[in-house]
Amino acid sequence: MHGRKAYELVKEFSSGEKGHLKIFNNELFERVTEECNEHHNALQSLIRKMQEEGLEVQTAKNADHYGSLIHHLSLIRNKRCLMAYVYNRAEIIRDLAWKVGLLHELPREIQEKFSDSEEQYFKDHSKSLKSYMSQLSLDVNVDMVPPKDPYIKIRVLEDLGSGIILSDKSANFARHSMHFLKRTDAEQYIARGLMEELTG
Amino acid sequence: MGSSAGEWSAEQIDDYETLISTTDVELLKKAWRNEKVSPEILPFEEALVKRAKEQIQLMEETVDDFVESGHDPLIASLYQMDLDRAQFLLRSYLRVRLQKNRPRNPSGFAIEKFMFYIWKTDTYRNRLSMEEEKFTERCIRDIGKHLEETVLSNLPDNYQSVLNQSVISEEDDMVPEPLLDTFVVAKCERTTRPLYLDGSRQSTGDDHFLMVPGDLCILRYRPFQEELMSGNISLV
Repeated sequence: MHGRKAYELVKEFSSGEKGHLKIFNNELFERVTEECNEHHNALQSLIRKMQEEGLEVQTAKNADHYGSLIHHLSLIRNKRCLMAYVYNRAEIIRDLAWKVGLLHELPREIQEKFSDSEEQYFKDHSKSLKSYMSQLSLDVNVDMVPPKDPYIKIRVLEDLGSGIILSDKSANFARHSMHFLKRTDAEQYIARGLMEELTG
Repeated sequence: MGSSAGEWSAEQIDDYETLISTTDVELLKKAWRNEKVSPEILPFEEALVKRAKEQIQLMEETVDDFVESGHDPLIASLYQMDLDRAQFLLRSYLRVRLQKNRPRNPSGFAIEKFMFYIWKTDTYRNRLSMEEEKFTERCIRDIGKHLEETVLSNLPDNYQSVLNQSVISEEDDMVPEPLLDTFVVAKCERTTRPLYLDGSRQSTGDDHFLMVPGDLCILRYRPFQEELMSGNISLV
């Protein structure tokens, strides 16, 4: 049936958890792209047939005309679905670029879900964002939540060692150790899941 | 003098409130709120952002001085807190214009989301700061390349445009447009001219109303753009 595969593709995206990526569905994606080209071939052969019969393609409202119209519309629908799939994933990728892209590599679990082009897009967008911030000489990707207290209590979730030097001190950030840090310093580690904020 | 708050005349309180509402912090707060809620991008507050940056720098120096001179650490941390808030406000203002990730207002405008539309609409393009304009250009290039590689280059020739569905499209039917007909909660700042619900200036019936300062109304956005631009209303 026309458009069924494309629908499945979009459905797969929208059934996923919000803000999370699944592995790029290459197989289905390529199948839909193929379908587009099949539609195009069918469309062209219908038009050729009409031309051979000496009919004006735009005005002759015969079965072939409507047939080619259906192929054209199916193709457009498939295109929109493909674009929606890629574009909506790109939105999530942009969010990731905001959260982690400027400072660090993405965790492997997430990178595995990217297609090659998506990986490049992630890098490109991170760079664009970085260049915006350096023109402005202001980091806009920190301070994501309104500040209540300049210092927060955190627990280290993964062994970070003592290599990290924060703006006002350095310490040994061993796993499970707890620290009292400047919120702006801790935020980037919290975003990457390396620290958690202790509340209450 | 001995006049306590209780003895202030209404006029004095009004004066005081006007004074407070024109400080840069309040202005930035208002700009930030408007930007957060508005379904389209608003003119970049260039002068205000410049002043805010300067003030933040000044505050940073003050805090450093305090810390160095070993003054009362409590005072220093109060200054630090004030500084943090100012910085958050400025960053958030700049961020909210770019980024879509806003749980409370998913349909809100963001440069990242409507980049193609901004690029072809001069009114919107002129509302960007120089840096934002460059950013938008790069965004379009990046996503364009990504879509091209992943989808478009694999499609038949006539269907390869990122802006059109196919070559026979008469308009850019792949470009999402902002939804200006959504409803917003507006607060009146200055008494408005008589307003009509459909936004027209002349009345066809007598369905007009006036907003006086402090009034809250839920309005359709599109007809009241002008009131927002002129600062007669603000969004909350």
